[in-house]
Amino acid sequence: MNEKKIKIAIIPAASCGGCDVSLANLNEKLLELTNFVDIVFWPTVADFKIEDLENLESIDIALFIGSIRLKEHEEKLKLAREKAKILVAYGACACFGGIFSLGNLFDPEELLEHVYLSNELITTDNTEKEIPGQKYEINGLDLSITPLTDHARPLNDFARVDIYAPGCPPREIVLDMLIKVISDYIQTRQIPEIPLVLAKDTPLCNSCPRIKPEKISIDRFRRIGREPIQQDLCFLAQGVICLGPITRDGCGLPCIKANMPCRGCFGPTSDVIDPGGKFASAFAPLFKLDQEKTLSDEELIKIVEEIDDPIGYAYRFTLGISLLKRIMREIKEGRTE
Amino acid sequence: MADGESKWEPLIVAFLCKWCASAGADLAGVSRLEYPPNITSITVPCSGRVDPQLILLAFVNGADGVLIGGCHTPADCHYVAGNFKALKRFALIRKMLKQYGINPERVRLEWISATEAQKFVEVARDFTEKIRKLGPLRRREK
Ligand code: SF4
Ligand code: SF4
Ligand code: SF4
Ligand code: FES
Repeated sequence: MNEKKIKIAIIPAASCGGCDVSLANLNEKLLELTNFVDIVFWPTVADFKIEDLENLESIDIALFIGSIRLKEHEEKLKLAREKAKILVAYGACACFGGIFSLGNLFDPEELLEHVYLSNELITTDNTEKEIPGQKYEINGLDLSITPLTDHARPLNDFARVDIYAPGCPPREIVLDMLIKVISDYIQTRQIPEIPLVLAKDTPLCNSCPRIKPEKISIDRFRRIGREPIQQDLCFLAQGVICLGPITRDGCGLPCIKANMPCRGCFGPTSDVIDPGGKFASAFAPLFKLDQEKTLSDEELIKIVEEIDDPIGYAYRFTLGISLLKRIMREIKEGRTE
Repeated sequence: MADGESKWEPLIVAFLCKWCASAGADLAGVSRLEYPPNITSITVPCSGRVDPQLILLAFVNGADGVLIGGCHTPADCHYVAGNFKALKRFALIRKMLKQYGINPERVRLEWISATEAQKFVEVARDFTEKIRKLGPLRRREK
């Protein structure tokens, strides 16, 4: 056994705190690890400054939480990649942009205006009409807040990621695998040769116990919370959007068991090029499947269009990895012929 | 107008099913009917094989518009119901593009039979002109 402890840094960027809590929830497992591990940076739980990270010559493992939404996050990630032997994208935000990337539906200016200047949010009290990103000085001290970047992006837009730990936040099964990876590293000091995803590459449906009819024909789109949902029948067969068919298995089905459809926090299986495109491909054909020949084109279109907020369903956690974002980037940066 | 802009020509990718729309386009060719060179066609076995992911990929790779051509509903699809799949996917991907701020009119679906060379030519002309009016693909357009 190595007498030297390994160094782990836990680095949050655009995150909600849920991922930090999931790590703190490890309790004894975390304590067991502390014989072999030094947590050298975790600003969520103790008073660490970015300089503490800068001053370290190297770290072994960086658990990076959250998506990249500020210039400052980009710099943190750069630092993490430089210092760490293994970079872990911890949580759906770090892996795919996460729920924050739904903000990519709007331009940064629109977001800032809505949050800081409009009167629509009762929690906003901003009489000075200050918005982040503007220069802000008090007594000659520069207190400017770092500007929003154009999109909320996943880590691998900027840096090589060695391990993806998906979930919002990652579930216990994922944490157990992560601990296994860390223990292996403590023993062998080996870095994964190819990126590891701590989830299966088969769809969640494969392990879902709900009754799946041979053929599903959705008569109309239904929302949860609006009408009763059966406990034992596949959600899709009930007209409720469930992302099981395009989501990686490995969470242990907490939502399905709680009579909630899957919203896809484990991210898409590797055959998916774009979660939304795949969503349209897989789900739209199910509508009125058994009445196609008797309905007009217009009637069929109307029924499919009843799906409210399709982007919110299809890309709940993944707008940050969508082709839509790439389309916009190509446009902005100008296409090369 | 800037120099680069005046030279811009719409680029349209057309996914045409082998049995109807693509055959219709071929007929237009042998009949020497003229249609704009802006259309790049890709023959697919059936419109039901046009995964919306391909539509997005076409946009990523520079298309300003995407045309899907299939066999007439209800009964003409060679594979029975591929055209219905195409129709319903088309409805959903258009709604999603709109929500993202991309004009849904940039995706068009048409049923064109193997004999409808004239219809293919009219659709090609009309769509090219519509895309020309919309200009290069961009976000937040009406
Ligand atoms: S993955 Fe979920 S729990 Fe983790 S930071 Fe993002 S929103 Fe919060
Ligand atoms: S779609 Fe959802 S409810 Fe149906 S089998 Fe898949 S995971 Fe289960
Ligand atoms: S069921 Fe879906 S949304 Fe729920 S934890 Fe599993 S992957 Fe995430
Ligand atoms: S074969 Fe033409 S649409 Fe199916």
